[in-house]
Amino acid sequence: MSIKLKEVHLKGVSICGGIAIGKPVFFNLSYETIPHFKIAKSEIKKEIKRYQNAWAICFKDIEIIQAQLKEEGNSQGAEILSAHLEILKDPLFKEGIEELIQKKALNSEHLLEETIQDYETKFKKNADDFFLERLKDIRDITRRLINYLRKTVRMSLVDLPHGSIVFSKDLAPSDTAEAQAGHIKAFVTEIGGKTSHAAIIARAKGIPFITNIDFKSLDQSKCEQAIVDGKVGKIILNPLKTTLSKYELLQEQLRKNVKEVEKLRLCETETIDGYQIKLAANLESLEEVQQLKRYRGNGVGLFRSEYVFLSRLRRFPTEDEQVLVYKEFLNVLNGLPLVIRTFDIGGDKYNDYVQINEEANPFLGCRALRLMLRERHIFKQQLRAILKATPFGNIHLLFPLISCLSELLQAKEILEEAKAELMEEGVPVENSLKIGCMIEVPSAALASDSLAKHCDFFSIGTNDLVQYTLAVDRGNPTMSYLYNPLHVSVIRLIKMVVNEARRNEIPVTLCGEIAADPRFTPLLLGLGIHELSMAPRYIPIIRQAVRSISIVDACELANHALTLSTAEEIENLLLNNFKRKSSSKLLKL
Amino acid sequence: VKIIRELTVKNDLGLHTVPSTHILRILSPVDSTVMFTYQGATINAKSLTSLLALCAKKGAKIMAEIDGSDAEETMHKLEIAFNNKFGEKNEY
Repeated sequence: MSIKLKEVHLKGVSICGGIAIGKPVFFNLSYETIPHFKIAKSEIKKEIKRYQNAWAICFKDIEIIQAQLKEEGNSQGAEILSAHLEILKDPLFKEGIEELIQKKALNSEHLLEETIQDYETKFKKNADDFFLERLKDIRDITRRLINYLRKTVRMSLVDLPHGSIVFSKDLAPSDTAEAQAGHIKAFVTEIGGKTSHAAIIARAKGIPFITNIDFKSLDQSKCEQAIVDGKVGKIILNPLKTTLSKYELLQEQLRKNVKEVEKLRLCETETIDGYQIKLAANLESLEEVQQLKRYRGNGVGLFRSEYVFLSRLRRFPTEDEQVLVYKEFLNVLNGLPLVIRTFDIGGDKYNDYVQINEEANPFLGCRALRLMLRERHIFKQQLRAILKATPFGNIHLLFPLISCLSELLQAKEILEEAKAELMEEGVPVENSLKIGCMIEVPSAALASDSLAKHCDFFSIGTNDLVQYTLAVDRGNPTMSYLYNPLHVSVIRLIKMVVNEARRNEIPVTLCGEIAADPRFTPLLLGLGIHELSMAPRYIPIIRQAVRSISIVDACELANHALTLSTAEEIENLLLNNFKRKSSSKLLKL
Repeated sequence: VKIIRELTVKNDLGLHTVPSTHILRILSPVDSTVMFTYQGATINAKSLTSLLALCAKKGAKIMAEIDGSDAEETMHKLEIAFNNKFGEKNEY
């Protein structure tokens, strides 16, 4: 006999919107009782060792998740996990526990729990809500450590079945960090705040998330299906057929809308006065291409080709492996352009794969194209693979870190060699492959007049351009205050590049973090940049920004900015302009 | 050398996780001992959990005491970091 399940409606607070239909999975994070036992004097060393081992595994684990987030372009999430690593290195978690084991001769789980409870009590005395939220980071780490100590396999969101809706009392940042959009349909928690680190990471992944739901009284075994309506913060458990079909229809409509717009490939982003701006994406995975299409981006402005291979294969790919991946991307892009940046390795990225002699200043050393011109076989192999993929879609080629014309010419020569080889082998190659030059070194910007004559487009990479122009390592905490993309020198360099590109009638794209910041959009448009490339999730917000700008005003703004002498003045100019132009809602999308 | 100076928290969100991590990155290679005193509590500034436990909000005045060979240099770095709001961008 089948039991008729009752439809239950619960109302909570929405953290991240969207509609999800899936199977509820109750993710139990609360630990049962923590074991408590004495350690014999002779066993103390062993117990300390046991703790140290658990600590080391935990550290490694967080490092791996952090690397994943970085690859996904989730820099906020990665920063949060780097704080977790710092917490783990804290004396409280390290020497503190070891000393306690020595002194009290008790098991480490118990001592850890006791220490954290102590800490929480002290903390709660003077914390407000915002600071209390930070306790969760510390709890998260404690939980991980205790799980390793108990040698239980940590239950992870990765192991849940596809299509799960996760119900949990609370979620830790590392939990949401491990979740994959699509695999996990939604999150529902009893407690949690919009500013919690778990929420920030979930939002970046676009997974619907509702909190403040009380499901303690629910009979877990009687929950077979759930609908999460992230827009209004509603959960419907065991929906009736009518409810379900209503939401399925709603979901289908949403999906259709997305598809409709995807069809309108030429739907450009326009300013108030009808000026068309292209918004493209910087990305490295196929999932992000889906996101790009959902947001109606104009193609891939920067495909970081090294990530997909080196993070997955952990070695250089063969020519065939590369062709396969490029074709896969082209297939999903379905005619939209794919700008492939050739391997950008060295400096701080993937140094293990090539022999680079110890350099005092790796960022001024053998990296990116310089390295590829040295490791010609790897470079030529990549160029061959790209050429082979050209008949299957709209590929553009981009060389990173060009600092002088001769580098560009050398790279083009190798490309010609590769082309000739393929012709001889009888492999079909599209002859009109466009070649771009990354402008991310001041020398390239200053010599853009000559570079423009030998390539088909420019792509300004502001992250490195700012760093090299201002001679500031932005990873250096004591110097990062000098890192400012609004420095007059940077703005002037961008203007110079745009002018030279115009004179030679080649397009310019700008990629880099400022492309994704709506405060900068009017300035960039005013400087003459008509194509911006950013992480796909920023496309809607920048589109909205573009739509509120008139190109005439933007040019005036840029001209004004070019007359100012300090970054502070320019910053104020943009800020006032931004506040005047748009409601503060813009960023809260 | 022992230096004592008052540092003011200037960033909007106070000494939360990211600014505290920023402080740690400055202090971890430092030899000197660095203690912060705020609202009667004195803590080791090289510990993230202790920094967080201060719950120092915007405007909080923290007494920093640095003792050791690289005290001068360290204080200077801390002052820059506090004054630059730990690189925190304003929320617009």
